[in-house]
Amino acid sequence: MKMLVVFEKTERLRHVGHLDLMRAMQRALRRSGVPIAFSKGFNPHLLLTFAAPLSVGMSGLREVMEVPLSEAISESEFKEKLRAALPPELPCVAVRAVDDRHPAPMAQLYAASYKMSVKENAEALISAIPSFLEKDSVMALRKTKSGEKLTDIRPMIYDLKALDGETVACTLALCEAATCKPELLLDALAKEAGLEARPRVICARTQLYGRDFVPLELL
Amino acid sequence: MKEFSADRLEELLDNVLKPSRYTGGEMNAVLKPFDAAEVTFAFCFPDSYEVGMSHLGIKILYDIINRRPWALCERVFMPWPDMADAMRREALPLFSIESRTPLSRFDIVGFTLQYEMSYTNVLEMLDLAGIPVYSRDRTEGPIIMAGGPCAYNPEPLAPFVDVFQIGDGEEMMVEAIECVRSCKQSGKSRLDTLRALARIEGIYVPAFYEAQYNADGTLASFSPVDDAAPATVRKRVVLDLDAAPYPESFIVPYTEAIHDRIVLEIMRGCTKGCRFCQAGMLYRPVRERSLETLLKQAEKLENATGYEEMSLSSLSSGDYSHLTELVCALTERYADRKISVSLPSMRIDSIVKQSLEEAQKVRKSGLTLAPEAGTQRMRDVINKGVTEADLIRAVTDAFESGWSTVKLYFMIGLPTETDEDLQGIGQLARDVINAYFTVPRGVRAKGLRVTCSASTFVPKPFTPFQWQGQDDLDTIKEKQARLGDILRQVKGVNFNWHEPELSMLEACFARGDRRMGDVLYAAWQNGCRMDGWTEFLNYEGWMKAFSDCGVDPAFYANRPRGEKELLPWDFIDAGVTRAFLWREWQKAQRAETTPDCRKGCQGCGLKRFEGVCADR
Repeated sequence: MKMLVVFEKTERLRHVGHLDLMRAMQRALRRSGVPIAFSKGFNPHLLLTFAAPLSVGMSGLREVMEVPLSEAISESEFKEKLRAALPPELPCVAVRAVDDRHPAPMAQLYAASYKMSVKENAEALISAIPSFLEKDSVMALRKTKSGEKLTDIRPMIYDLKALDGETVACTLALCEAATCKPELLLDALAKEAGLEARPRVICARTQLYGRDFVPLELL
Repeated sequence: MKEFSADRLEELLDNVLKPSRYTGGEMNAVLKPFDAAEVTFAFCFPDSYEVGMSHLGIKILYDIINRRPWALCERVFMPWPDMADAMRREALPLFSIESRTPLSRFDIVGFTLQYEMSYTNVLEMLDLAGIPVYSRDRTEGPIIMAGGPCAYNPEPLAPFVDVFQIGDGEEMMVEAIECVRSCKQSGKSRLDTLRALARIEGIYVPAFYEAQYNADGTLASFSPVDDAAPATVRKRVVLDLDAAPYPESFIVPYTEAIHDRIVLEIMRGCTKGCRFCQAGMLYRPVRERSLETLLKQAEKLENATGYEEMSLSSLSSGDYSHLTELVCALTERYADRKISVSLPSMRIDSIVKQSLEEAQKVRKSGLTLAPEAGTQRMRDVINKGVTEADLIRAVTDAFESGWSTVKLYFMIGLPTETDEDLQGIGQLARDVINAYFTVPRGVRAKGLRVTCSASTFVPKPFTPFQWQGQDDLDTIKEKQARLGDILRQVKGVNFNWHEPELSMLEACFARGDRRMGDVLYAAWQNGCRMDGWTEFLNYEGWMKAFSDCGVDPAFYANRPRGEKELLPWDFIDAGVTRAFLWREWQKAQRAETTPDCRKGCQGCGLKRFEGVCADR
């Protein structure tokens, strides 16, 4: 049995890096007393996988991790125990029990939505959105495993809009084949707005999606 | 006073190294409404978050203060230089981690002094907080306190700190915050609050004392000038360690601390009587925690933290009466939860093979041993009661149990040292390597690694070596080079050493008087801070400070003190008497040893404390 856990990494913890977050979750699981599975081998550790690492500086509203269990436990008991073992800044939002053959969340990942609070030049940036969306192609230098690559990111932008005068929301591709990081969109949008540099933003990932934009934890 | 802006902070955090040092939100951090507390205490560790979060004293006192519903304690660490500069540039005052409150809003700002080379950070932190660094320039705002082992010679910091706590803090801290609370309630002035604090046993308020000097620069007199101040400040001792409060949870950091694990303080104090060791003298008498208490504490802490490692802490864990039972009980209880037990501070003569084997059932770590000196004569001088046979037996046991990484700690520049003693270090390293190869190939683990680490001896107050001068820089450098040559001839040994300049500065502060405060201020003005970090040590800044202040570092570091000289810390009663220390100093020079006082009282002076040595 495995448990899919939806948690929030609040804004206070946005600077906590992926490895640190993973260690914090491992310790929380140990504290919680839920029946967790250990790896075999010389240095036994918890088998814990995250759907997608969050970059340093970014908070996450509905992050997903998968916890393999050594024995069955009800969703409500698991949630109760884990919630009690987590600091207030890292709350467990929802859990879902799945069987061992359920595909790993990472493999089902398709896209993610983000919310950016724009801290400077918000007006210029936001007013550039309509013309930006009319473009058929937006070439950007994307970092990949094999180095930098000029890629058309327009097809990876599924949604882009202003929520208010200083907040931008977007949905971007996030999967093994093609990922558009929010910074990449921001650079391109800043260019469209005629800004010299990417404005300072505080970014939160609001939701992870599988195919057909179904929330990842429900797939 | 500078204003705190959350927005500006967020902007800074995006541009500094390891921002999670400053953001908190850790498991078990205590969050209380700031304005509801009757007394607020900012616990400052004058070094980085990673170092400070490894320190046990903070955990104990944080818990003791926060247990009181009327009191609040929050943490503050020295910002890394990039953050410190950014904060200064942006006029963002230093703030506490928990509630992000500027230090200037606390009733008490308390520093723990673990290491002399963190003193510039004390000034830097006060200044970053917008608090005047000199005590005399403060008419309002927080009372600045300090405690910890370096507070036993408080004088170099006397111009900057209002109140020192000398000795165990568990009871004294409670009395101090209760005192501040009642002074606040009755609207007492700052001066009267300091007077009330000065009446608490163990507390030293430097403003109430005056120092006079002789023409040769030595101290002529040191005496109180206020009725509230006692002539002698006696250290505090927690008599019943087993009953003393101990945290039931530790804050679990996100970013990895140096020591990121459960710590069980099994024992406080040490009876061995190594003559160089300040902790061994300061933390007397020996007090143990019972097996039952420790197992209870382990269970609570494991449930509260989820740590993968437990470490047994004391000055000499091998002397703990129930060591094997404790290690076996812990390993048995926690093996299925994959928790390892580590035993730092094991003396060579006491390493229990069974404990070692139990401790490494889950995970294996390196073995660290401290023979301290290379020859038996030198080990007798320092009263390190171990022999070469002890060392070889200990490493052989370890090699047979599957260890293959051994670190050996030595000191150079010890009193009476000769070239023979340096050669002895090389011989010991060679013997350790030979011991490894005597263990059959199938039994010993592969990949032998032996590291010899040589630090420079620093004479410390309240030790028998407090009268000894430190070797000057050139001599230390020569000895380091010589030792390097000797160890280069021993195949398979790594050699590292400490910056001799740092040890010299440490020696100046360890035995400094109030005039070293001016040097400290000048050095900080010259940009010195984070001196304990090799990459930040600004030796030129320090030398300029000495010369600008007209102070000769040799007066403090290298000058031997005479039997009759009044020492700046003589007004503190640290338990061990000056007569005992002098006797030990004379014996040291004759290479005569003194047995462990568990085998018979050596008259160190602790018996004057009621009840502490009753059973010996």
